[in-house]
Amino acid sequence: MNEPILEVQRLKKYFRTAAGFLHAVDDVSFSIGRGQTMGVVGESGCGKSTLGRTILQLHEPSAGKIFFSGREVTGLSKRAFKDVRPKMQMIFQDPYSSLNGRMTVSQLIAEPLIVNKFCRSSSEIDERVEEMMDTVGLAKRLALSYPHELDGGRRQRIGIARALILRPEFVVCDEPVSALDVSIQAQILNLLMDLQDRMGLTYLFITHDLSVVKHISDEIMVMYLGRCVEKAPAREIFLHPVHPYTKALLAAIPIPDISSKHKHRELLQGEVTSPVNPKPGCRFAARCPMADDRCRSGEIPLMELRPGHFAACLKAESDQLNDPVFRLREESV
Amino acid sequence: MTELCPHGGKGKRHRKEQAWKTMEDRKQKLLDIEHLSIIYKTDLETVYAVNDISLSLEKGQTLGLVGETGAGKTTTALAVMGLLPERTARVTRGKILLDGEDVCGMTEKELLRLRGEKASMIFQDPMTALNPVLTVGSQIGEALYLHNAQELSREQIEKKVEETLEMVGIPKERKNEYPYQFSGGMRQRVVIAIALVCNPGLLIADEPTTALDVTIQAQILSMICDLQRKYGTSVIMITHDLGVVAETCDMVGIMYAGEIVEYGTLEDIFTGKEHHPYTKGLFGSIPNLWEESDRLHPIEGLMPDPTLQPEGCRFAPRCTECGEICRSKKPPLREKDGHQIRCHFHGGGDSLSAEDRKEESHE
Repeated sequence: MNEPILEVQRLKKYFRTAAGFLHAVDDVSFSIGRGQTMGVVGESGCGKSTLGRTILQLHEPSAGKIFFSGREVTGLSKRAFKDVRPKMQMIFQDPYSSLNGRMTVSQLIAEPLIVNKFCRSSSEIDERVEEMMDTVGLAKRLALSYPHELDGGRRQRIGIARALILRPEFVVCDEPVSALDVSIQAQILNLLMDLQDRMGLTYLFITHDLSVVKHISDEIMVMYLGRCVEKAPAREIFLHPVHPYTKALLAAIPIPDISSKHKHRELLQGEVTSPVNPKPGCRFAARCPMADDRCRSGEIPLMELRPGHFAACLKAESDQLNDPVFRLREESV
Repeated sequence: MTELCPHGGKGKRHRKEQAWKTMEDRKQKLLDIEHLSIIYKTDLETVYAVNDISLSLEKGQTLGLVGETGAGKTTTALAVMGLLPERTARVTRGKILLDGEDVCGMTEKELLRLRGEKASMIFQDPMTALNPVLTVGSQIGEALYLHNAQELSREQIEKKVEETLEMVGIPKERKNEYPYQFSGGMRQRVVIAIALVCNPGLLIADEPTTALDVTIQAQILSMICDLQRKYGTSVIMITHDLGVVAETCDMVGIMYAGEIVEYGTLEDIFTGKEHHPYTKGLFGSIPNLWEESDRLHPIEGLMPDPTLQPEGCRFAPRCTECGEICRSKKPPLREKDGHQIRCHFHGGGDSLSAEDRKEESHE
């Protein structure tokens, strides 16, 4: 791996609620190499968006440390963090609600430059906005349009332009394509990958769509109820998923291929349990078909099973060859 | 452990063959849409939402309608339910025969009888489809009170409500709770319970799982499959997810800009040799889980403006195989063994479908 640009150590974010502490992100550690993409997957409510926001200090972490380019950014004052933030940006999920409807496209894209006082003259701003619109594939004639006149794909391009105009090094993409149609989704994914090559960006790519995350990521982290349950290189996690939750996630994806239709699939029963004051032991134990008393007692650490492949499961050593997803893969090869 | 799709491959194919044999027998068809066109007309402009689509559905079959936002999938579904907005929408041509009766000509009173009893709909967003100030039990019971064909007593209706809740996997003790007390997946189960409580012959599921997580989606799809098998309900599954189609459907219609550009059996669409370029584009846009690929192949460009009626093919501006004829002449619907493709260059030979031949001779 390249030198890490972002390092997260034992990050925790708890929210105080009437019923107790909600463990949104609980003891998550990882690092991302420069120019790489870390994919974060999980169901809604697993803490993936909170993780992204906490890294950008949009939420104050409850515990843990974040290093960006070797410098600790946790505990910095708001004023001190202002120097760092242009290097760390975010693309938001919903291109329909994340843009101010009263601003034109060029105003929206120029806003980060003005807020951060990046440019000396308005002509310089115009120049950079125009250049950025070209980069993300927005036609010049749209500069004076308002967001409501544009379709979802173009609006998401505005969101991307706003995030990239400060020339960041690290971008958190929070479900950037989940609100878009498949054909537009593919356009935006290709754009994000092209921009990564051209600008040397590092992504933290948050999504619930496993096929998207596989396509774009170098490494994938699976989260469940605030915990990282499995982390491995993208190929590896699809070839040899270890954690029962990862396997269940993979098995639940409807595959657009009818040859696999008659295979029996094990479906996960029940729903995500409450993240408020979680019970000790494995968070997934309540839905796990293999859970026993050992799983429900002590803390389960992330263990390295193969080089680079981590999983938090006591049953990780169980027979891989009987796994349906694994078998499916073997058949298709 | 649950099986996602209850029918094994062989049984399904067998059923489909049987279905084909009866294709000609019009009486077997539960739903028959013929040359349907729908516009939305306002003072400012006219939107051509559905343009001359024909399809039919037999008892117990599942038809998938696939397409992007604005392809006219939901408008078609609303028309079948007689739920089109009165002020703006007009059915300009064609008819919708549900159990032999034309829905388009029905009065409001007749429509009330139809909805819930003969046909019902699962709406896309379970968060907004439920009334927040009524308990889920009373919302499920409403349809039974309205269509009390068997003249059930109040107690019997309450019992039926409890049974329906259990059927969709919600404990009956929760019937006096309000929608906000349920999670997204549970709310979608309530919406499905409302749709199924009168055992309708036709169920329209408008993106029933788009708002849900993938593990919950798998549960809901398997439930719809089970219930369909149990009651012999016909289902129209509206979705943009080809994976969902592969899991649940028998017949598939690919919609683009208000037209059905390709129509056939599941095998025709997924493993057939000939395809409409738009279908190919859709498949190229999905990242494949089991294959290594560096780039996706999206369909460049956007859906055409629905207020315009182009002369040629509606897909021509985005099509990679577009020729001179595509811009000037509307492509015919070609058919081969029931697999229909609306394209100048693809589809079974030169044989036009019977409908188009009829049309040509008119012209």
